[in-house]
Amino acid sequence: MIINIVFTIFIGLAGGIAVGSGFVAFLTVLGIIPRLTQLTKTMKMIHWYEWSVVFGAVAGTIASLRDPILYLPSLLLIPLGLAAGVFVGLLAAALTEVLNVFPILAKRVRIEDKIMILMMAFVFGKIFGSLFHWMYFVNE
Amino acid sequence: MGVNEVENTIYIRMRHRLQVRPHDSIKLQDVAQLIAEDSLLEKVKNSIVYKVSEKDQNIIILDVMKVIPILTNGVGQINIEIIGPTQTIIEVVYKKIGVSIPLFILIWLLLFFGAALAIMNFHEDVSMQAVHQRIFKIITGKQSVKPLILQIPYSLGLGLGMILFFNHVFKKRLNEEPSPLEVEMFNYQQDLDRYVIINENEESMKRLHDH
Repeated sequence: MIINIVFTIFIGLAGGIAVGSGFVAFLTVLGIIPRLTQLTKTMKMIHWYEWSVVFGAVAGTIASLRDPILYLPSLLLIPLGLAAGVFVGLLAAALTEVLNVFPILAKRVRIEDKIMILMMAFVFGKIFGSLFHWMYFVNE
Repeated sequence: MGVNEVENTIYIRMRHRLQVRPHDSIKLQDVAQLIAEDSLLEKVKNSIVYKVSEKDQNIIILDVMKVIPILTNGVGQINIEIIGPTQTIIEVVYKKIGVSIPLFILIWLLLFFGAALAIMNFHEDVSMQAVHQRIFKIITGKQSVKPLILQIPYSLGLGLGMILFFNHVFKKRLNEEPSPLEVEMFNYQQDLDRYVIINENEESMKRLHDH
């Protein structure tokens, strides 16, 4: 009995460590946190950002594994949605950049000076696709 | 002798990249930065090092080894000091080909709809809708099939995050550092340059036995 509990705890911990380190590795590869510190010139605060990610991940785990209900006003969802969107936007931008799509594309079609307009196509495409998805595409 | 040596020294630094038109004659001072004693400089700086001709393609690598004989032929025995890169990439710019507007619009639309489709697939892949419904339930305690109050800010934030990452709002920069995109473009250009320096320069590789 005891051995069952201990073993289950051990398995849970092992799974958590694997997923947690994978998550950090993913964030590190994409370099979102360095990019944000570079933009805001807050390199010294980077340890606080680490803890922010850790607490965020733990809060997300609690929210998805337990069923907490907070009974807060729904207006709170606006900044929350915005923050989630910015984060996913950073992820998406980092991914396109890692894949080196733009430099090669710009070189091929000889539009090095208009690359920002092409990038805006990407940005507007993401916004449009997302809005279309939520407002029209999903209809259950 | 010591004085003579100083007077006859020329310092050469090849430029990294030079853009010329077809049939241009390239002078030494176009292709390199020079430091020398005035009379020596006057003698050498206008000597022709290369004539662009029909048979050249759009990239020519001019190695410093080809420049040195021209220098010594002109003024005899001098002391040549080479600083920095040992070759220049000469880019022959033929008639400027303008970007065709229809093609540009086509690519713009391609990227636009491609990005839209990609984000929709991503949302479906990670069950974003279910997660948003769950977040709505956690925060407000109510059930909502379409929690648009969360999803519309999310969609706008998506665009904002991308702009933040690339550090550009159209032409306006958010701060003075180069954006990751510009760094990436630079790296790509450097890779291409390294490739042409080795591969377009016939002297950089040699086979002793031709098999």
